[in-house]
Amino acid sequence: MSKTPEVLIVEKHTEALHRGFHRWPEMGFAPPALGDRRWTPELILSTWVQAETGALPTGDLEYRTGHSGGGFDRLDFKFLLESEWLPPDTPIDTSLSLNRRPYDPRIKIPVPWYGAGMSYGSVSEQVMLARAMAAKQWNTFTSTGEGGYPDSLIPYQDHVITQIATGMFGVREETVQRARIVEFKYAQGAKPGLGGHLLGDKATVAVAKMREAVPWVSLFSPFPFHSVYSVEDHRKHVDWAKTIAPDALVAVKVSTPTDVDMVAVGSYYAGAHILQIDGSYGGTGAAPEIAKKNIAMPIEYAIPKVHRYLLGEGIRDEIVVMASGGIRTAYDVAKAIALGADGCILGTTELVALGCTRCSNCERGRGCLFGLTTTDPELSQLVDPAWGAERISNLYASMQSQLREVLRRLGLRSARELRGRTDLLVYRKSDQS
Amino acid sequence: MASYSRYHIPSSPAPNIAPHPRRFRVRVNRVQLARLILAELVHYRGNLPVVLSRPCVYGVFSGPIGGFAPRPHRCVGCLRCTVQYPEIVQIIPNPGRMRLGDSYFTPDIVDTVLYEAATGRVPVRGAGYRGSFGGEGWDAMWTDMSEIVRPTRDGIHGREFISTSVDLGPRPDFLTFDSSGKPAGEALRLISLPVPFIFDAPPLSAESANLYRALVASADGIQSLAVVPLRRALDQGLTSASVVPLVRASEVAALSDLTPQPPLNGKGAQRAFRMIELDGWNEAAYRALQQSYPESLICVRLPFEEEVTPLLRQGVRLFHLTADYHGRAGKAFILEAIRSAHERLVAEGLREQTTLIGSGGIVAAEHAPKAIICGLDAVALDASLLIAVQGRFRGECLDRASAQVEMPSFEVAWAAQRLMNLAASWRDQMLEILGGMGLREVRRLRGELGRAMFQAELEREAFAGIEGYA
Repeated sequence: MSKTPEVLIVEKHTEALHRGFHRWPEMGFAPPALGDRRWTPELILSTWVQAETGALPTGDLEYRTGHSGGGFDRLDFKFLLESEWLPPDTPIDTSLSLNRRPYDPRIKIPVPWYGAGMSYGSVSEQVMLARAMAAKQWNTFTSTGEGGYPDSLIPYQDHVITQIATGMFGVREETVQRARIVEFKYAQGAKPGLGGHLLGDKATVAVAKMREAVPWVSLFSPFPFHSVYSVEDHRKHVDWAKTIAPDALVAVKVSTPTDVDMVAVGSYYAGAHILQIDGSYGGTGAAPEIAKKNIAMPIEYAIPKVHRYLLGEGIRDEIVVMASGGIRTAYDVAKAIALGADGCILGTTELVALGCTRCSNCERGRGCLFGLTTTDPELSQLVDPAWGAERISNLYASMQSQLREVLRRLGLRSARELRGRTDLLVYRKSDQS
Repeated sequence: MASYSRYHIPSSPAPNIAPHPRRFRVRVNRVQLARLILAELVHYRGNLPVVLSRPCVYGVFSGPIGGFAPRPHRCVGCLRCTVQYPEIVQIIPNPGRMRLGDSYFTPDIVDTVLYEAATGRVPVRGAGYRGSFGGEGWDAMWTDMSEIVRPTRDGIHGREFISTSVDLGPRPDFLTFDSSGKPAGEALRLISLPVPFIFDAPPLSAESANLYRALVASADGIQSLAVVPLRRALDQGLTSASVVPLVRASEVAALSDLTPQPPLNGKGAQRAFRMIELDGWNEAAYRALQQSYPESLICVRLPFEEEVTPLLRQGVRLFHLTADYHGRAGKAFILEAIRSAHERLVAEGLREQTTLIGSGGIVAAEHAPKAIICGLDAVALDASLLIAVQGRFRGECLDRASAQVEMPSFEVAWAAQRLMNLAASWRDQMLEILGGMGLREVRRLRGELGRAMFQAELEREAFAGIEGYA
């Protein structure tokens, strides 16, 4: 049977796009309008290479840092002399245990990262599916974000975190019950203190149905949880989740205010297993521009603050600290761990692996012409979930191998040994790339 | 019976009237495009819907002859076309756009201000922050947020109320009462503005009757103030309640020539400018203004570098401190200059009695709350007003005297709406900042340095001990 024009159109553009993702890194120059100071053109192209091949670029494309002039881009590692590196065949453990409490199920992931919450509505179902498939392949996790739990994710439920955010969109008893990890989103780095934004353009009929909202009406999540005004209220939330899903671990996602260290301690005493601190330079489907740069601190400053405070309180080894909001590369992951995080949470990086050019049009209904941050039925067909899963999986493979190489050159046998080792870092007066 | 009405700035679309450089250029290799079409015609056996399907939904390639005559003004820079067909199309940042503004008022800020002025909206976009990690000046400062306090987003969307009102004028530390229990001493003479910004006088090169009329009309519209040089107010007959005559010492007598405004209290016929700004310190002029205009607040306009302490001792309680348009106040940036002025007043024990208005280098929405956190009561907007009405800088725009600004020809109503839109957008963005902190009123933000984070301090705390960090 011959294919319809609609099918042929999708095939034509998908093939051309995939060709483009392959060709650009080899062309010797980047698209002139690509990238920005945080995600430089080279960083985007080298991520495309890793997503395609599972390995680093063979040329001299920069793959470690950007040009932001601060934070991770100013930090480097003090590698040992080559003669002191661990032998190449040394087994190096990159795994991370997500439960440090003496109770509740043990969950271990083979890499110190998992996927960030990106809601149905902010991204397409195909993208969610691709991320879930990759999470399953790697025995790690991805998060639903706050837009509900599409049925297509159920086969991957052991690797999908159910997020409960302030809008409670699509949160149902069964979606909480099926999760091994339940994540409370108190705040988001890109718009701290402001709640989620889904502009009317993206609240399609399907999205609105999932969120039990009115189609084509902008959805602004409240802030904060109107049931939480204290650590005690926070504890009540955790108890509520544990009542519904007794075996689930509880993650808490917060932003990075001045008192992020106190917030961390509060989350610990409320019973959280995982604390996600989301720095101010993180990704978003839509946020006021004023919030992205100006509210709350970048993750590079928040990690050591939280780590040291938890150490001082004697509870550091009872809670897992995950850093997010501006983690782009394996080197960023390693630096975040050296600053004091246990692991990282990746969002934008995964989208770049799927072809994101960081054009910042994600807030519009048909803004993302790569089919990523859209629920437009036509555009979202550009991402085949199996293809997407392969790209993310390849990126993970490359990142894991880079992390192992960093550890090997530092003489460490596990990522756990790197945690809080700021003595292995060096601060440069100019960007590293 | 008085009825309550919630403060609202009426915004409505006021599109650009002067040409504005588009963000991107679209370069198409027409020969390659023709080859592609031919190849696809063969491959898809003449299936035209498939062959003519292009990778852009914005219409860049949807003109009568498609990609052979692209429409770059529609390009949003998603890069789908160039990713897909690198040998056929290139998207290039428009170099013409890089000439917008000046070294301080960057093209990105120009674009943002134009959007705000055209729509009155808060710029909302996807993806994360794209710029430098930190930097100098305002970029080295972050505002705080709170995870679990009210009113926050409810306030931003109007279900609860976050006040952006500020009071200008001298306030006693405490009230005194006479033996019969009645308030004693001088009556309070405060001006309450619903927004913490006023409009400053434009550079000489930009001055025009229409610009001043627009400034005054928009200040009226948002119930704020517009500083107008006396000679301009006289020339144009600007007598609205929002006009703040800017008077040099030599012009004090001439102020009486300005058509009296309606009395503030609706009784009698006494002139009642709400505020008069004395340009530079002159004790005799200050006393003369106090004596001639007892109902008006007398504000002294000084550069930030000048010492205010002696003037405090002479009873001055309302200052408009100025930096240049790049925020330079002598050797300091305005941020440090504000902190220093604020802290000096605190040390003198006079902060609560005194009002500080500041201007210079406050060109983006986030600068206003940051300036207030550093210690201002209110800000006076300057260069951003010119950009809002599509003024073009010629070279560096540094101060009122030297800045060369080319203004388009415009109607007063259009420009007034643009300025009101800008005010609406900036106020809404201030609500975002206040909401993030859980603050109910902007007055509480003044000098709240605990609500600010500075790069140098954060970096020291985070990176001290790391080799190479000093």
